[in-house]
Amino acid sequence: MASASEAPPVPASSILMSASKLIAIECGAPSRAYMACKKRDANPETCLAEGDAVTGCVINLLKDLNETCPKELKAYYECMDYYSNNFLKCRDVQKAFEEVALNRKKVTK
Amino acid sequence: MTEFLRRGTPGMTSVSDMLVKQDGPPPGGFPSVRYARRLPATGPTGPTLFLVTGVVMAYGFYLVGQTNIEGRKVKQEKYEARKALVPVLQAEEDRRYVKVARAFHEQEAALMKNEKDWKVGESVYSTGKWMKPPQLVGIWDEKIFD
Repeated sequence: MASASEAPPVPASSILMSASKLIAIECGAPSRAYMACKKRDANPETCLAEGDAVTGCVINLLKDLNETCPKELKAYYECMDYYSNNFLKCRDVQKAFEEVALNRKKVTK
Repeated sequence: MTEFLRRGTPGMTSVSDMLVKQDGPPPGGFPSVRYARRLPATGPTGPTLFLVTGVVMAYGFYLVGQTNIEGRKVKQEKYEARKALVPVLQAEEDRRYVKVARAFHEQEAALMKNEKDWKVGESVYSTGKWMKPPQLVGIWDEKIFD
């Protein structure tokens, strides 16, 4: 299935876990709206709009992080990937990433 | 040989000087054997031992408590990260499910278009809540999923 010209897969779980704090801070409102919609009705078809809002917010956040602090983000998620998402093992890169990311000026809208 | 070396010394010089040949204690008898109890009352007292044990145990329990507090903090961090990701992942799964469900309902409508009083996608439950499709158990032929 993987040919020689394909790029190696990015560790999606580690990227999401690395960005989880920022997702909670910056995409908290659409997430809460989505969960409230889900609580009212569990049918997936009723909450598609709210779900799209959540996904759009998270994608924009990841794009923004990639623009403003790609090196710190990469170091952090590579460490998480190596240690299978164990926060205790990646304290140094986590600190470096959060210092930059929490105080950054947003580039993408 | 022994007799030659000891001739003239006081006491027995050889076995042949014994009056009667029999096994017995040495002259003067055996030295007395101590069989009385002697339990020295040295070292720490009982209450002291309990106190020291108690102190060590208390320190150990304190460390256990501190470790549990730290462990709970670590677990909380992990759970908070997972909680933050639930909406993203669930939204993705919702989109995937809706796509598959719509294709399935179209197939169902095509199959049942000549049936009277057939509602496509009607829930089989009477509570009114939306329920997940039941989990498949066992080994299924892949062709039925096409």
